[in-house]
Amino acid sequence: MSVDRRKVAVFGAAFVLRLLLIGLFPSLPDLLTGRVEVSTPVNSFKRLQEGLFLYTRNVSPYDGGVFHQAPLLLPLFALLPDVRSSPLPTAIFYFLVDLVNAHALSTISESGQSIQGKLHSAVRKHIRWDGVSVAAWFLFNPFTIATCLARSTSVFTTSGILFAVSNAVGGNNVNAMLALGFASYLSLYPALLFIPLILLCYDQRTQNPLPNVAVFVAQQGAILLASVSGLLGLSYLITGNFWEFMSATYGFHLLVPDLTPNVGLWWYFFIEMFDSFREFFLGVFWLHLASYVGGMTVRLRRQPLFIITSLLGVFAIFKPYPSISDASLFFALLPLYRHLFPLMRYTFVAISVLLYSTLLGPAFYHLWIYAGSGNANFFYAITLVWSLGLSILLADSIFAALRDEWEQAHPEAQGVEVKQV
Amino acid sequence: MSAAIRNLRNNPKLLFVRLPNFLSFLCIVVGVVWLLLLPLNDYSRKTYISENALLPGQVHAYFSGSEQNVFRGYKQELDGLLNEGRERGGQKDDAEVTSTVSGKVQSIFLAVGLKIATQKYEYTSAGITHQGENVYAIIHAPRGDATEAIVLVAPWKTADDELNLNGVTLALTLARYFKRWSLWSKDIIFLITPDSKSGTQAWIDAYHDMHPESVQPLPLKSGALQGALVIEYPFDHHFNTLHIVYDGVNGQLPNLDLFNTAVSIAGGQMGIGSNLQEMWEHKDSYEHRLQTIFRGMTKQGLGYATGAHSSFMPYHIDAITLQPKGHGWEDEMALGRTIESICRSLNNLLEHLHQSFFFYLLMQSNRFVSIGTYLPSAMLIAGNFTIMAIALWLRTGYYLENKPKAAAQPKDKKKSVEPTAQAKGNGVEERHLALPLTLVVGLHLLGLVPLWMFNTLFHQYFTMATYIFVVVDIVLPLLLAALLSNGLGPFAPIIPQQYLLIKSFSLLLLGLSLSTLATLNFSLSFMIGLLCAPLCFITRLRTSSAPLRCSVSGLGLVLLNLLSPPTVLLGVCWYTGVSVETVLTQAAFGWDVWGMWTQVVVWCVWWPAWLIGCVLLGSSMF
Repeated sequence: MSVDRRKVAVFGAAFVLRLLLIGLFPSLPDLLTGRVEVSTPVNSFKRLQEGLFLYTRNVSPYDGGVFHQAPLLLPLFALLPDVRSSPLPTAIFYFLVDLVNAHALSTISESGQSIQGKLHSAVRKHIRWDGVSVAAWFLFNPFTIATCLARSTSVFTTSGILFAVSNAVGGNNVNAMLALGFASYLSLYPALLFIPLILLCYDQRTQNPLPNVAVFVAQQGAILLASVSGLLGLSYLITGNFWEFMSATYGFHLLVPDLTPNVGLWWYFFIEMFDSFREFFLGVFWLHLASYVGGMTVRLRRQPLFIITSLLGVFAIFKPYPSISDASLFFALLPLYRHLFPLMRYTFVAISVLLYSTLLGPAFYHLWIYAGSGNANFFYAITLVWSLGLSILLADSIFAALRDEWEQAHPEAQGVEVKQV
Repeated sequence: MSAAIRNLRNNPKLLFVRLPNFLSFLCIVVGVVWLLLLPLNDYSRKTYISENALLPGQVHAYFSGSEQNVFRGYKQELDGLLNEGRERGGQKDDAEVTSTVSGKVQSIFLAVGLKIATQKYEYTSAGITHQGENVYAIIHAPRGDATEAIVLVAPWKTADDELNLNGVTLALTLARYFKRWSLWSKDIIFLITPDSKSGTQAWIDAYHDMHPESVQPLPLKSGALQGALVIEYPFDHHFNTLHIVYDGVNGQLPNLDLFNTAVSIAGGQMGIGSNLQEMWEHKDSYEHRLQTIFRGMTKQGLGYATGAHSSFMPYHIDAITLQPKGHGWEDEMALGRTIESICRSLNNLLEHLHQSFFFYLLMQSNRFVSIGTYLPSAMLIAGNFTIMAIALWLRTGYYLENKPKAAAQPKDKKKSVEPTAQAKGNGVEERHLALPLTLVVGLHLLGLVPLWMFNTLFHQYFTMATYIFVVVDIVLPLLLAALLSNGLGPFAPIIPQQYLLIKSFSLLLLGLSLSTLATLNFSLSFMIGLLCAPLCFITRLRTSSAPLRCSVSGLGLVLLNLLSPPTVLLGVCWYTGVSVETVLTQAAFGWDVWGMWTQVVVWCVWWPAWLIGCVLLGSSMF
């Protein structure tokens, strides 16, 4: 196997950059770990430490209501040396996870699935970035670096999703479902990607009589269920109390009891709400989030990988506990659609809005929490702007994908300015 | 109207080149005029006490009569010790004086019946070591539960480095006097620091357990600090006005209510006039108001600590310094009563000061403008860069003047493979982003080098470093411009579109940094915005005649170099008569001790933007 020198250079540079950052600024990881933009109650490394402390002392990690992450992370992190005395091994572990994610991403890109699917073939095939560039885009994205340095456990969910997709485009649907099971086990919401992932797997089937759709779905569903229940079983063995960890993790994801500020739209809304409406709006918010799956799947049936990409964008905006790691996953998959960039109309606006909110968010949080001269509305306004920026980017990319599909159907209309079709 | 719009659509040069220039210029002009309008009565307001619990001047202040004898006694004791020290070793032998005097201060506090503690600290910055020992004492509130406290600070050296003997004595007398009252519901902490620069910083850091290793932790603590007053009285004669200093580190300000309380108690209850921003002769005219605003903005923008009170601000503790000034008939007892009355008002507080404004510009002790009124001026100036950045971005996509020339350079791979590609987009030109992005990001990171340098060098090299930097600022843009025009490393020589993109990205970053900054430190954002304003209108010249181009761009570069950060620093130092070394030593001290970040803005926002402007102009020579 020939070693791709460019890839080695990019991966090596990304690794060295992260190492340099923690070497030059030793307090940076702890600073980032404490930032609300990076660490939410469901992926915070600080909370993981708390859970780990309880776990290693044979107390239920969910006692005290601080830790809300999957139990299997505990034995994994118990293997690593203590972070306070020797932070380097944990940091390097996270760096490696990032590299592995980037590798999965480059595999997805190399498959060319984003350009040439079974049912769709992009018009501007020549405009594309190779796998190494896409991986570099992911590895050198400041949001990815911040997530990695903050040791947020979202990176494992990211790995699960990226591996599910990379296996699916490789036609390896059992592994894809196992990876998706892992991601869903960690964070619950990736389970919503089941349908587009099935489509992606199904489109990879090449045997002549295509398998029956219902049977195929049932098979894959069974694999997913088996993997999730296997992981849950292991978790039961670790914690010993099934319902306690279920309610502390998935119950926490579903019912959103912790309203610590984050970059999402839920916390402020639920702080302001009267308690009697809480259940109703929880249902509405979750329904809203889940409803995108159906709509996108129907409308973009011909490009299943694009459904996954845009759904990840939707999750980054509308999840109950989003952080910049979700945005970085969305940004990681977008360069696969480099051929759509010429069709997008508001990239500059969207990127300016995102840059503005990236700078103003911490500033307003500072004014609110530390300086005391601002209030919660300052920060909430910026999270709205951030979500607006992401929405513009998402809507614009969906527009571009639809336009691409339309141009494929109407080759004569390429490059023509169209107002209404 | 519709005719004008149609005209615009049909005339891309007007739409993409003239209009943005005009809009940007308009933004700058309106921004500046806006600021100039603020002193008018229509745009400013009279101050008022917003927190009703404060009740300023509603209590009788009893500090007088026999307390004056106590004051004189303490003063004589301290003066004697100081003189002894002076006779033995002169002013030089500070350590000796400090330890005996500090022992005396402690014994006085102990005799009054207070708990005392000391704290040693040491800071090193720019090769200078600052060390000392804080002494503090706590009156436990008879009616409180030690969850809240007020701080009275008396530094041995005032902000102007004068011996603050009367101030310290007054603090000791007040300690004795306050101890006898049973009405305090908040603890009162008396803090005697050796100087105004580092002592309070060490103490307040340690109070919140945020101190570096060279600073001792505090053995004795009280509750959450609600407010702090710094007492300065560095002369022996009577005074006639009270100068109130309120600027904090990084331009943070105390709650306006605290300032108003001090003004209202001094003026209303004691009949002492108050001044601010060293405006001794304030006639309440437009010029004087504007001058006061400008002085306030300068201090806020530079972000240094203007007194011992400044260190409290980052911890969200409102603090002011009271400085008696002038010759008059008010004595130390009047100052003591003022402080007593302010303490009584703070004692009344039910919650932390929050009612009134934290962002304001004062133009007179009883007149101010609030953030909603003044913010647009800085935002307009920051916005002008954003407008230009967006216009340049659009221009690179839709309108390039010399199109045939751009198309005649199909050196880029994508273009040569599929020359029709760009036409197939949305009718949008393909933009080549890699080089502009790398350059802009790289130059911003390069700003870390001078930032690091000017904060770690030893103080004796600062002047030399500044001159070296002036030279670097002349050479570096030309070097970069030459490299860009002739191609560097893996990059092909730059194409005209990329010059516009470089400018667009640089201005976008500048605009968004400045608008963020405007919410944190209005004045700094305004000043940097004005200094950067020419960058908006600088482009690569494209006149065909080479000599003309070279001479015009050379002249432009000379003018721009007059606006570079080191030149501006030298100019300001020359104008104010302060040495460059003093300014930079102070800045390094601010960075190391106060947590001041003005330098970050200068080197990582202003300097890169300036450098890119120079590169663009310089590139017209090649």
